[in-house]
Amino acid sequence: MTPDARELRRRERSAKLTLWLAERASRNNSLLDRLCRKIIARATRIKPDQDFMRDPLIDNDTGFDPDELERYQRGE
Amino acid sequence: MPAPVPFDPQAVAAATPHKRNPREGVETHRVICSTCDIACSVVTEVKKDRVVRVRSSDNPIFRDNICMKGIIAPKAFAHPDRILHPLKRVGERGSGEWERVSWEEAMADIGQRLKSVIKEYGPEAWAVSTSQWNTCTDHGLGRRVMNHIGSPNWISGVALCAGNTAAINRMTYGWFPMGDFNNTKCIVLIGHNPRRHSWTPIFNFIRSAQARGAKLIVMDPRRSSNAEVADIWLPLKAGSDAAMLLGWLKVIIDEELYDRDFVAQWTTGFEALCARVNEYPLARVAELTGCAPEMIAKAARLYATAGPSIIPWTPITDMQRNSTSGIRLQSILRAICGYLDVPGGETLQGFHPDIVPESTIEMHEILSDEQKAKQLGSDTHPAFTYRGQHAFAEPMKRVWGHEYPNQITGCYMANPSATFRAMAGEGAYPVKAFFALGNNTVLSYANMPLIIKAMMNQDLIVVHEHFMTPTAQLADYVLPGDSWLERPWLTDSFGWMSSYRASEKSMEPPGEATSTFDFWKKLAGALDRPDIVPWSDLESFYDDRLRGTGMSFRKFARSTEMYFARPEFRKYLRTGFATPSGKVELKSSVLEALGFDPLPYFREDPPLDADYPLKLFTGVREDGYFQTAQRQVPDMRKRSPEPVMFVSPGTARAHGLLEDEWVEVENQTGKISVKVGVRDAMPDGLVRIPHGWWKPEMKQGAGHLSGALEYSDAQLCRDDEDYLDREQGIPHLKGVPCRIVKLATQPVPGPEAGGEVV
Ligand code: SF4
Repeated sequence: MTPDARELRRRERSAKLTLWLAERASRNNSLLDRLCRKIIARATRIKPDQDFMRDPLIDNDTGFDPDELERYQRGE
Repeated sequence: MPAPVPFDPQAVAAATPHKRNPREGVETHRVICSTCDIACSVVTEVKKDRVVRVRSSDNPIFRDNICMKGIIAPKAFAHPDRILHPLKRVGERGSGEWERVSWEEAMADIGQRLKSVIKEYGPEAWAVSTSQWNTCTDHGLGRRVMNHIGSPNWISGVALCAGNTAAINRMTYGWFPMGDFNNTKCIVLIGHNPRRHSWTPIFNFIRSAQARGAKLIVMDPRRSSNAEVADIWLPLKAGSDAAMLLGWLKVIIDEELYDRDFVAQWTTGFEALCARVNEYPLARVAELTGCAPEMIAKAARLYATAGPSIIPWTPITDMQRNSTSGIRLQSILRAICGYLDVPGGETLQGFHPDIVPESTIEMHEILSDEQKAKQLGSDTHPAFTYRGQHAFAEPMKRVWGHEYPNQITGCYMANPSATFRAMAGEGAYPVKAFFALGNNTVLSYANMPLIIKAMMNQDLIVVHEHFMTPTAQLADYVLPGDSWLERPWLTDSFGWMSSYRASEKSMEPPGEATSTFDFWKKLAGALDRPDIVPWSDLESFYDDRLRGTGMSFRKFARSTEMYFARPEFRKYLRTGFATPSGKVELKSSVLEALGFDPLPYFREDPPLDADYPLKLFTGVREDGYFQTAQRQVPDMRKRSPEPVMFVSPGTARAHGLLEDEWVEVENQTGKISVKVGVRDAMPDGLVRIPHGWWKPEMKQGAGHLSGALEYSDAQLCRDDEDYLDREQGIPHLKGVPCRIVKLATQPVPGPEAGGEVV
């Protein structure tokens, strides 16, 4: 179906604004950058009980001990 | 694979900060994971000069984009079996006898031997295969060196996975689009099943979109995890994607659900398309796909009316005997429904104007027409070869400012099967030198017996790798590659996106491991052409490419996680499309000029051979593995210790199969051993074969190949004409005839048996 031209332009403006926010958030240097990051963090937050990205394997990962990795690499 | 993030102005007012506490004594780096092809932006934590942890990015646009393969990377790359020094074969090919040599010795000999091959057979006798992951991207330098030397014979796994999709999409509208997941109203997954630990960012995108109310349509023979949460699930027959999409077009055109203004102004060939689509009434489509006509119509209506909708790239359609038509049909649906280059639809991004793309580094323009014409497979299956893409040179320059934009590195490739035939001495001319970079060639393409024959017929094989893969076992030289923890990187997703991300080097590579940049630089020197790679090191190469940003690579990497281009939608209003006609070609002038059907069609399967009554599909990944990698990582192997085929309870009953028993699956190409997994989600008559199996702990060398001869799905993948796509010549991996043979005795379980099967 042919979309309404005004509605399409509105969506384009909104998407451009979103990209601008994402760009600032990716820099995260100035105060404005940080505000943009906060805005995005807030706008994309998911309720904990509905958070499909939670996963014990990832959430409980604490990484490795450097000496243990060293020994592993040497085959000990 | 970021697209615009969702934006809710009301949420802005209540914004609160989210900050991760830095850990004491830990240095952090912004890095891009390259263990798989999705390239998550992550953070590495370094202690005592080692990466000790990989975690997800602090930037909310990449939040939680990390999987089990990413977090295990510090241990996976510290594996004691990792190749740390150059190795030279000293016994017969495949004997497993090696001696350690220096890089200088290795490259001097490789240079000499490659020059001899070129002198005797011509530069086209040198072929290269890379994957762009594992040891990672070759930065366009591989093609650059080959173009200068004169070889067009570059192959890659992207020939049947995204690279070919890019090349075929261009036939319709002159670029390969990226779906805008964050603003879309409807997502169509065709056989693709992103999960929490596989293609993680796409899983994140899909579930986020659903949480915002977007619809999900899934086409999949299996009741996949995405099918279970879909609004509509179409359980189509494996390999019938093109037929299904012809049915969708029939509904959308008959019911006038398409964007009439766009079709009238911006397309060619609509009448011819309608005539073709009329050959596929829903009753016929239902028969071809095995799905009810009402469900097909319902899904088509949802796609066309709930939009803007996206059909994200799927590897499934890429690997079928109707691949070209299937990919073209996806692109035609995107176009006629008005979803091209609009928010929430399919964005055509082009290159970033400030940064030199890899396509420029590749320098395809300097390879002569005479050498381009020798590209293997371009005579019979030209779609993604130089010949097939030739007509786009002018339109690409006009619209995208580049004569040879090599999206996903897949637009100017030789055909893999034709290349292996030439390597085996069965082609139009011989190929006698073969280089594999981060590519386990023996297991990565169809017709493994042919590939092994091809490898055994080479004068020189060079492999740049992390581990002694079955491919490395047949090499003359195995050279140690670095990992994504150990080198910088700069990526625009291989020209798919206009935005760039940088990856910082987190630690020194172990032993004498080096980057592909160093490899190509050393090779150019060994061929007496150091001018081909003039940059002193990888960072100065990136500094050069980033000059237009006014930043050095270091500054770039430290100052932004994503460098966006200025967004512009509906660019075609200004430039037209990068096709010969400047419009969306529903009837492809390029395919027609190449002698193929310019309209999409569905080629039905050959009659079923009674000896092979079942159908198999392969290419399936387990969460802990990417392609043929990670089998040596204990934490991953514990999860999937053995190759397991999945069948339905009905198929198991009909063939007397028991859960966990070993069986053989065979067809005319070969046979493999697998364990049986009975799964409710599988349809009757279909066998799921996992991809890329070998066992690093098993005996190496020719005749063994660490279990690859026994377990690799490539043994079952055919490449005879009946099972090749006509236009591209890529193999059909979704619905290949096979049979299951019960074993008289069960093998004794190995040390790895007994873990959880994903
Ligand atoms: S999905 Fe996993 S393996 Fe792939 S890039 Fe992301 S973290 Fe790495």
